Amino acid sequence: MNQTHVERWLLLEQTGELSARQRRQLAAALAASSVARRGRAELCGLAAAIPPVTAQPAADAVPRIAARLRARQKPSLTFPPAWKPALAAVAALALLVGLRVFRYQPGGYGGSAVAAVAEEEDWTDPLEAEFAELENLISGFDSDEPFGITEL
Amino acid sequence: MAAEDATCLAAYRRGDAEALGRLVDKYRRPLFAFLSRFAAHPGEADEWFQETWVRAIQHMNLFRQKNLPGWLFRIAHNLIVDHARRRKPDCSLDAPLPDGTATLADMVPADRPTPAAETAGRDLGRLIAAAAANLPVEQREVFWLRMDAGLSFREIARVQRCSINTALARMQYALGKLRAALGPAYRELQDLRP
Repeated sequence: MNQTHVERWLLLEQTGELSARQRRQLAAALAASSVARRGRAELCGLAAAIPPVTAQPAADAVPRIAARLRARQKPSLTFPPAWKPALAAVAALALLVGLRVFRYQPGGYGGSAVAAVAEEEDWTDPLEAEFAELENLISGFDSDEPFGITEL
Repeated sequence: MAAEDATCLAAYRRGDAEALGRLVDKYRRPLFAFLSRFAAHPGEADEWFQETWVRAIQHMNLFRQKNLPGWLFRIAHNLIVDHARRRKPDCSLDAPLPDGTATLADMVPADRPTPAAETAGRDLGRLIAAAAANLPVEQREVFWLRMDAGLSFREIARVQRCSINTALARMQYALGKLRAALGPAYRELQDLRP
């Protein structure tokens, strides 16, 4: 095991990321090398030597974070969570009432369809006469029979 | 994610404003300490701290990891990297070399602490902090995530989106530079006990 390898394992030993087998191998390497032992002592000392950061976030950091979150929230998310189930319940109720009204309508679905067909038959197209006249005129052009200027 | 964190988040989403306070307070020290190591002044660290929380909560739906501190440090890392890119020089020392194993900065000896820093902080800890400030961003991040925030190398690798071996190599480069920068003072570390 070379020095780089031992150094990596010393780092992993500190974080508890070595397997049992690796720990045994490292212990053997430490027993055999004074350089490895010194490296390990330096690493332990390093953690102890570093002064902790004494600075703190601003006292009003939390309200500021909350304010930023509110400002960046999408409009759809501004509904209080309690509104969503209420909205769903109203929609479901409207659907149920609609279905009930439709089901109890006199004549039902079939009756409505028959009435619609009858209505369609009664209906006459106001443009139909004009289309027929235009058709006659075009067929007159196609035929060899002469026609008066008044017909145009 | 710890059950307590999930409970706090759920309570905040239901409108409990105090739940956010509890959550922020829980991770305040390690997160703010980490950000402070990269900020030019306390106001900048404070701004990053708030922004980290805002982004974390805003994008919680995208959160796949089960580790809230890891997610927070990942966002903090992005903020620091973005900031470093904005003030990046034309020729970057952090650019990887053609063989991809190291950066140009790894080949350059680290600066020694300035005389001002040496006189201001005689103790070893301050010398270490001053020397660490001269490390490339990636190495500095690994160093402080490990030493300050107490993250494991697996977690650090997740934060930096690199392999665990890369995280370990960055730490080794950082320690090598600190050793060179501090000279005999670094060897005093072996006499210290945690």
